[in-house]
Amino acid sequence: MEIDEKRLILCPVCGAVNINRGKNNICRRCDCYIHKHGRFKTEKSWAYLITAIIAYIPANLYPMLITSQFGHREGSTILGGVILLWEHGSYPIALVIFFASMVIPILKFMILIYLLISVKFPLKRDSKIDKHKLFYFTELIGPWSMIDVFVVAILAGLINMANIQILAGTASSAFAISVFFTLLSAHSFDRELIK
Amino acid sequence: MLIKKEEELDDIIICQKCFTIHKIVEIKDGSKALCSECKNILYRYDSNLAKKGLALSITAFIFLLIANIFPLVMVNILGNESYITISKTFLMLFDSGFFIVGFMVMSLIFLFPFIITILYMIIFFLLYFKIGKRLSRDILILISHIEPWSMAEIFLVSILVSLVKLIGYAQIHIGVSFWALILYIIFDIYITKSIRIYELWSLRERVFYK
Repeated sequence: MEIDEKRLILCPVCGAVNINRGKNNICRRCDCYIHKHGRFKTEKSWAYLITAIIAYIPANLYPMLITSQFGHREGSTILGGVILLWEHGSYPIALVIFFASMVIPILKFMILIYLLISVKFPLKRDSKIDKHKLFYFTELIGPWSMIDVFVVAILAGLINMANIQILAGTASSAFAISVFFTLLSAHSFDRELIK
Repeated sequence: MLIKKEEELDDIIICQKCFTIHKIVEIKDGSKALCSECKNILYRYDSNLAKKGLALSITAFIFLLIANIFPLVMVNILGNESYITISKTFLMLFDSGFFIVGFMVMSLIFLFPFIITILYMIIFFLLYFKIGKRLSRDILILISHIEPWSMAEIFLVSILVSLVKLIGYAQIHIGVSFWALILYIIFDIYITKSIRIYELWSLRERVFYK
């Protein structure tokens, strides 16, 4: 039989090549559904992404870390922490935190919004291969924004003495939720829709 | 493209990075095939994959156990001593009422690394002894669902970042678990990132169907 190369699809679970038969595609190797969606193709991804963006707002407004020294409490937001580190002269760490908790999430939001819009309204001059590379890149850098949450968890666990304490702030919950939903959004995006 | 049977699709591979379609060619033992478009590794051929994988995953599991038993880092601030273990990071969050973050941290750095390493141990065991046709399929599906959520390497970078933050305030002593965690991550990256899930599926096909 003659098969158009455009009808070949990739199983996201096992990586086997399958023929696109319309709605319910089941992988011939691992019997998993390959992106079962009817009329709603990108809506699930959009919903997760919007949740992530909403959660990202309190993540930047509330304190991430609360330092309590001899009863004196002081909270610092993500950006405040970066500025503090920069002023203290630890430039590499300030840059790591800045990239992990500001640049990567915002970059990921923008790339996902661009990809989701381009599914519906494809721009002619953007090549398909570049968009696939862009998506691969977001999947690669996505989990690294968890660094800040882990740092808060480590410092809160480590510095817990009578006089000096570090406590996790409200922003850590919001930030963790934001990262989680961005990852979900990328996972639920069907790469076959990129054209 | 002309194909006679659906099985002939096994000779085609789609690049994970750029989605271009390639035809699988036979390559020498121990070498790898790259995508012509983006130079991403498509697949490797290694006749000792099951044996090697079994040895490496058992080693990784031992290091992960050690990393979870002993303290990671000890600090001394103005005469107050304190230490941290992997489990203490999320138990402390539970204590202070941060259940969502605590649960996420627990899953990402404790549960999923353990599950993934045990699953890899089982799958390589099954493929090495050529048993469990159905079970190996289920485990491979489970691995590809859980693998993106295992973040031990990111946790290691976070430890380094928080240690640099503490320099100047505290005396820092590195614990046994820290070195064990580094070794675990080296093996883990080799097993989960360097060996593609695709290679395990094709190894399973070679073992059970040919």
